[in-house]
Amino acid sequence: MRELSLHILDMLQNSLEAGATLVELIVDEDLLADRLTITVRDNGRGMDEATLAQVTDPFFTTRKTRRVGLGIPLFKAAAEHCNGSFAITSAAGQGTTVVAAFQHSHLDRAPLGDMAGTLLSFVLGGICDVHYVHRKKQGDGKAGETAREFEFDTQKIKAELGDIPLTHPTVREWLRGFLAEGEAELAAAG
Amino acid sequence: MKLAEIVDKLALEVCGGADQVPEKEVTGGYVCDLLSYVMARAKEGYLWLTVQGHPNIVAVASLVNLAGVVVTEAAKIDPATVEKADQEGVPLLTTSLTSYELAGRLYELGVK
Repeated sequence: MRELSLHILDMLQNSLEAGATLVELIVDEDLLADRLTITVRDNGRGMDEATLAQVTDPFFTTRKTRRVGLGIPLFKAAAEHCNGSFAITSAAGQGTTVVAAFQHSHLDRAPLGDMAGTLLSFVLGGICDVHYVHRKKQGDGKAGETAREFEFDTQKIKAELGDIPLTHPTVREWLRGFLAEGEAELAAAG
Repeated sequence: MKLAEIVDKLALEVCGGADQVPEKEVTGGYVCDLLSYVMARAKEGYLWLTVQGHPNIVAVASLVNLAGVVVTEAAKIDPATVEKADQEGVPLLTTSLTSYELAGRLYELGVK
């Protein structure tokens, strides 16, 4: 994929299909350790061991319409190709956690891409809550370390909004601006 | 054009899905190393040129129903990829030419 956000969207859609009501998404950019780690943890129905063993096989899919499933295999290949690692853990009834790590500076590492747009379209789908944390840690020794964080939690936002849905035009525009600004600030930081 | 003819004329080495080589007709070509692009843009019957050697290339080829995959620049191919290509009947070919060079040769042969 040209952007990691597309892989993330694939994982979010997997969570939806697993009946998740909450997804925790952590994008951790640690420039000191030269590591980019993406964690997607959901509270969906999870998988038994036999299913889990097959999900990284591109010829395994739960879909009935075609017999090839590439969401997880492509994400895994992308991470491993960038001097990284990929792990997926799950148990039936326990949800699923996907962790993909990349060498941050690897030449073949795709850029993170449009996280704001990805999150916005996903949360406006309205089915699933998202708790998103984007961290960025950097430093050059002299100036010391700096760590910035952008957090976005639809549960907290919904609690503030009461009966007003996220899809209300005013709310939607606010969400769009909030996400774009939060991501832009982190991107500008270094 | 028949895939077998292309294999012969461009001296491609068949390393997987050999029994399907005589069956395949090549209707066009596509060059890209991003599998998501290939899924979205390559068409049935195309010959795909890439330096990727992961088993995922066989899944993409089978999904799009490509005529075959050529791994260029003699790039390393996982043993699992060859195994999958045999299982799925996807012709898997190799060459030491770059994708650019091979695409040029294919164009000269009339694969357009």
